[in-house]
Amino acid sequence: MAASTTTLAQRSRQSSPSRRAIAEPAWVRAWLIGAAIVFLVLFLILPLAVVFVQAFSQGIGVYFDSVKDPASWEAIRLTLLIAAIAVPLNTIFGVAAAWCVAKYQFPGRSLLVTLVDLPFAVSPVISGLVYVLIFGRQGWIGGWLMDHDYKVIFAVPGIVLATVFVTFPFVARELIPMMEAQGNDEEYAALTLGANGWQTFWRVTVPNIKWGLFYGIILCNARAMGEFGAVSVVSGHIRGQTNTLPLHIELLYQSPGTYAGAFACASLLTMLALVTMVLKSFIEWRHARAQKDAA
Amino acid sequence: MSIHAVNIRKTFGQYVALENLELKVPAGKLVALLGPSGSGKTTLLRVLAGLEYADPGSGGRVYLHGQDVTDTPPGQRSVGFVFQHYALFRHLTIFENVAFGLKVRGRKTRPPREEIEKRVNELLELVQLPGIAQRRPHQLSGGQRQRVALARALATQPKVLLLDEPFGALDAKVRKELRRWLRRFHEQVQLTTVFVTHDQEEALELADEVVVMNNARIEQVGPPQEVYDNPATPFVFEFLGNVNRLELTTVPNAPVEATPAQGAVTYVRPHDIELLREPAADTIPVIIHHVFAAGAGARVQVVGNKTGEWFDVELSRYDLDKLKPKYAELVHARLRRPRIFTKAATPPPSAKLGGKTGQALR
Repeated sequence: MAASTTTLAQRSRQSSPSRRAIAEPAWVRAWLIGAAIVFLVLFLILPLAVVFVQAFSQGIGVYFDSVKDPASWEAIRLTLLIAAIAVPLNTIFGVAAAWCVAKYQFPGRSLLVTLVDLPFAVSPVISGLVYVLIFGRQGWIGGWLMDHDYKVIFAVPGIVLATVFVTFPFVARELIPMMEAQGNDEEYAALTLGANGWQTFWRVTVPNIKWGLFYGIILCNARAMGEFGAVSVVSGHIRGQTNTLPLHIELLYQSPGTYAGAFACASLLTMLALVTMVLKSFIEWRHARAQKDAA
Repeated sequence: MSIHAVNIRKTFGQYVALENLELKVPAGKLVALLGPSGSGKTTLLRVLAGLEYADPGSGGRVYLHGQDVTDTPPGQRSVGFVFQHYALFRHLTIFENVAFGLKVRGRKTRPPREEIEKRVNELLELVQLPGIAQRRPHQLSGGQRQRVALARALATQPKVLLLDEPFGALDAKVRKELRRWLRRFHEQVQLTTVFVTHDQEEALELADEVVVMNNARIEQVGPPQEVYDNPATPFVFEFLGNVNRLELTTVPNAPVEATPAQGAVTYVRPHDIELLREPAADTIPVIIHHVFAAGAGARVQVVGNKTGEWFDVELSRYDLDKLKPKYAELVHARLRRPRIFTKAATPPPSAKLGGKTGQALR
């Protein structure tokens, strides 16, 4: 008896002592991590690197010329304008929708939650087409608009509408679960202490949701600036007038001789993506810290 | 400031939370709303605060010190509310939490900054938490947070204090300490206070008056002694303290309509039963089954000799030593102060305050 236990003990000491019976063998771990890295490099890092490589492939001079070109500049300006309109609008819609859903019970509440997610389910091209069907020349109110000389489709208002539709869910989806999880007690407490609706909102609700709000706004902005499909359908691609930056990039790419210019402009959007990711990580980190503190 | 709520009916869709209640709280008293989960006590408290409204058209009205506040929003009713999970503003310091009620006032009624500071510090002293003004809620223990919540509710000098299961989220030891603290606090401040609890020990220990609620109705209202010694309904009997419910045993000398054969049920508290060696005119024979004596008192489990019905008897250790009961011995039980409820014990009581069901005899 004693002899066999000593032999077993000796044997177990000879094999790797720190390995638990339930951990994967080292080679499995190596393969899994390796596969993930290869996937990331091929589908994420390589394309991003290629953008910058191609952007500077004809020299720095060409890079800056492409970016400072008047048409490019108009595209950048238009993209910023669209974001400046769409993001605040969707922030207000998102906060209002989240407030209704989290604080009240009313008929149609689940329908509202489902509708908020609708733009995610719809193809961006369809999102654009919907507006053409309503506001376009043969659309429902297209005739009336033409008579009054209001341009919606193939003009900036149409682009704003399409962008607002496509980026609608970001803020709401972020806030609804957050506000539901936080409950209503703090707001009720504020009411009993004499605060009115606005005071309760600004002093109690907003500070509690601020990280979720920033997160939603960042994502909303990234999408608003980068949207292609829906905007492509409604904009008409009028160079220098209704071309947003993504559309302008496509234009440069399709035209002969402006290959590097296309990548130069694309590098701007790529840098926006990188900034978005950094901000997103920062927010997640701060929010996690705030959660830990509150626990 | 007294509270009077009348004709309060509250439904949530199909669910009836409050069924036509009337509640009167005298000024300066500490009143407990006691009942099991779902009895409607929190809903009633919130109706008093203005956080819920009675069903429109039901004629429900709430009066604070004679003034009709039914349509007044909670912030203007001059009530302080303390929540079960404290509801402190997590992003503000303790100082700003307590000062909140003063800072949100309009420019005309807001006190100057120095006075706010003075008031907050006084309140923190009052709840025995000096020096934590710059901390944040997450840095405090549960008991400390609850006292801060109390200080915050008092900052606006309310005329009525409403507490929703204030100690429910705390562990047993802290709960007992805060219970005693609240009683002393109430004696000091003399503010009309209503608190909700499902813990009968808490209600009986703390309150001047206990309102026992069950199933959207008020079963009984009275001082703790009264509610415990003279329960109006079987529910109150069973909810407060230990009780034996005897369905097969006939109490000696009971009238004919109060026998088990007629469907009557007898309630008697275990400590109201005497065990004797010799039979008497008013005793029933029982067999000793189990003696549990490892505690301050002794509990003896007996079974009726003729009925086969089990019940518990609580004796002092002194009486136990005198009796020296052994397993399977025949002794005689005298039921002091039994309450017999006739057949109508099952349906819920009428809407009248402290309404009785059936007839309670003796």
